Amino acid sequence: MGRFKFIISIEDWLRGEILVSKAVKVGIPVIILILVVAVVAYLAMAPTPPPAPTPPPSIVMGTTDKISTLDPAKAYDFYTWEVFNNIFQGLVKYKPGTTELEMGLAESYTISEDGLVYTFKLKPNLKFSDGSPLNSTVVKYSIDRVAKLGEDPSWLVTAFVEKVEAPDPLTVVIKLKKPVSYFPALLATPPYFPVNPKDYPPDKIVEPNPPTCSGPYKMVKWIRDVEIDLEANPYYWGEPPKAESFVIKFYKDATSLRLAVEKGEIDLAWKTLNPVDIKSIKEAGKLKVVEAPSAFIRYIVFNCQSDIFKDKLVRQAIAAAIDRAEICEKIFYGTTEPLYSMVPMGMWSHKDVFKEKYGAGPNLDLARQLLTQAGYSEDNKLSMELWFTPTHYGDTEQAVATMIKDQLEKTGMITVKLSSAEWGTYTDYLTKGVMPAFLLGWYPDYIDPDDYLTPFMHSKYSYSIGAFYNNTECDKLLEEAQIKVSIEDRTALYEQIQQILAEDCPEIPLFQGKLTVVTQPNVEGVVLDPTMLLRYYLIYKT
Amino acid sequence: MASLRAYIITRILLTIPMVFILLTIVFFIMRAVGDPVTAIVGAHAPPEQVVRLREELGLNKPLIYQYFDYIIQLLRGDLGRSLIWGKRPVIAEILDHFPATVELTISAFIISIIIGVFLGVFSASSYGKPLDHTIRFAGIVTYALFIPWFGMMLQLIFGVYLGWLPIGGRIDPKMYPATITGLYVLDSILTWNFEALKSSILHLILPSITLGIVLSGVYIRITRSSMIEVLRQDFIIAAKARGLPDRIIVFKHALKNAFIPVLTMMGLQFAILLAGAVLTETTFSWPGMGTFLLERIQYRDFTTVQGTIVFFALLVAFVSLVVDIFYAFLDPRVRY
Repeated sequence: MGRFKFIISIEDWLRGEILVSKAVKVGIPVIILILVVAVVAYLAMAPTPPPAPTPPPSIVMGTTDKISTLDPAKAYDFYTWEVFNNIFQGLVKYKPGTTELEMGLAESYTISEDGLVYTFKLKPNLKFSDGSPLNSTVVKYSIDRVAKLGEDPSWLVTAFVEKVEAPDPLTVVIKLKKPVSYFPALLATPPYFPVNPKDYPPDKIVEPNPPTCSGPYKMVKWIRDVEIDLEANPYYWGEPPKAESFVIKFYKDATSLRLAVEKGEIDLAWKTLNPVDIKSIKEAGKLKVVEAPSAFIRYIVFNCQSDIFKDKLVRQAIAAAIDRAEICEKIFYGTTEPLYSMVPMGMWSHKDVFKEKYGAGPNLDLARQLLTQAGYSEDNKLSMELWFTPTHYGDTEQAVATMIKDQLEKTGMITVKLSSAEWGTYTDYLTKGVMPAFLLGWYPDYIDPDDYLTPFMHSKYSYSIGAFYNNTECDKLLEEAQIKVSIEDRTALYEQIQQILAEDCPEIPLFQGKLTVVTQPNVEGVVLDPTMLLRYYLIYKT
Repeated sequence: MASLRAYIITRILLTIPMVFILLTIVFFIMRAVGDPVTAIVGAHAPPEQVVRLREELGLNKPLIYQYFDYIIQLLRGDLGRSLIWGKRPVIAEILDHFPATVELTISAFIISIIIGVFLGVFSASSYGKPLDHTIRFAGIVTYALFIPWFGMMLQLIFGVYLGWLPIGGRIDPKMYPATITGLYVLDSILTWNFEALKSSILHLILPSITLGIVLSGVYIRITRSSMIEVLRQDFIIAAKARGLPDRIIVFKHALKNAFIPVLTMMGLQFAILLAGAVLTETTFSWPGMGTFLLERIQYRDFTTVQGTIVFFALLVAFVSLVVDIFYAFLDPRVRY
């Protein structure tokens, strides 16, 4: 009954029919006053705890990239690898600003004459950030763990390593299945980074938060998609980082990132601002813009077994008709550079093979000539479908596809229909051979020409990028280049393979990305190189 | 009372098929757009790994079996595990992000009511005058505002040019209060961390104002029309005749009576509030459910997207249920 009355009273109150007595009118303010006085008195009398220590961060970096997972046995994306390179370390590492390798946790190493056994001597007294020892047993444990778990990046170990031994605490012996000339480059990738067995159990993928670290920085906090806090690792063997702490803030899109760096909320903005934003920031001249060529490349892939593109002449005609410079200037405002080989510029053995064969710009006469040879004419046009994925490579992708369509149609002998699919569907179609011609991009797994040629031109792997290219001579050359140790011999082989690439055109390189970091004027130490890894430990403020 | 009980029971029973249909639609649409395994492992993964993952996730079974597994799992209260990264339970992922959305929606909700009701009242009490026309126009404009654009304008003005307010995130780096409720403002107060409180309030201002102003358009219109109707009634004329000041008449007598339609709209706006939060969160890098859902859609993390939509659906269904039952208490005419 009481509940019923209560309900009625709400109803009455809402209808404005309830009468508020004078007692209530006076009583409520008095009660509120008493409560306020009580709270104020409590606050005044209660012991004030010391405020939580919140030192200002030394460097704050913003990015639109994301961490996938904090387990090197599982993570297989470029940004997570970058963070790993700042908090973990391999036996060897890249010298900042170059693609040369230098010693990391190892002091030295030797290679057996047959190229099958690598023996590493570790630096003495290596420790993780919690003080626990980092010795050869840990190195063996970590590499074996990656192989055993069999996750995405595990092939970087299992395809090459026969077994790992730890004969004494400072010696690591790695036996290979076959000689691999670029094995040291593989050792600089996170699947080979030692991890603390306390954090990473042998039989499952985990996300320790934070993990104990072995690099210049240690991670102290990670809030997914929000923030990572790094602090100098007191047990790091080498030179300490230039800034005591480093914060990574994650932004949802390029526009927010741009606003954050313009407002000064972050000291530097890294991966990825829109080309148009970079252009206007440069023009405004208030912030520093640091640029360097990256190892990221974009290209067109042909399904070489599809009805139209099994004819090499058609692929060559398209290679001749493309105007790379127009794409780089009009869509990317100079933040990309035309590329004439699958091996990126700046990497040894790179040759501008497409430029040599088809010229730098659009060569419409040659394209028409090749199309005529292939049996097409202005009355009997080549009708092709070009696929792209609208968001995976940024908002500019539709514009790139449309511009290529226009360029090809300028021959007067091609009509292009554009089709698109979201990334999940796209990758599905790609391996199933659904798409006859499509746009794709490549971030390297390891910095070596092999990583830019074998996946694309070896018959065993080219299905995985949807090219279905098969050339026995090319397979042989690629395999030979993998086991040669001399860089001169390998260069000669890769140059030969690039000539085949320009001749057969299973893929047509389009452009190479530039790395761009926008910083506040007082930020120094930003070092960019084709490894595309930003070394946080070198950055500081003046 | 018997009739009220019957109404509540019918209302609850009707919610069940509604949620069920929604779950079915989500399940089939999610599977119609591509292969999650290829999206997860990439195109370069060895075929045996693809097969292994497909088996592990139960994606090798016929679709209808997958559907029943999914429904049975939901009936057990299990939203499944994420398909990507750490493969955490979906409910844990949701609980990580939900407080941020709650914090944003509560403050935006309060702002929208305050702006909407006050402007609606002023508009009605200046009926036919320039102020009324201006407010009506403002109401239409705010209702039609595109959140990302409006948010960005506020970011530019108050963040970049004036430099008064932060433009993104929930709090300054390294200032996180100890987690109690996950609502930073509340947690900062509870842990006596005033620096965190200041920072979290400052970060909350722009996103809440953006969403609040956009949602206020509806309240402006509802309050205005309801107030105009009430202000024409006899008891208001009588109050005027008694010489009561306008302020008392408008806010004490008229508004109290004009408030029921506004209250109705508050319940109806809940789903729109969540939808608006998705856009606001993306604009302000606010780490809530909206950004989380969008991100997982991009990664085609089926179970998480399904789980999140199920969570949203149950939440909206629950709130609608509560609102409907509340009205049934308030207004005896609401019955089946």
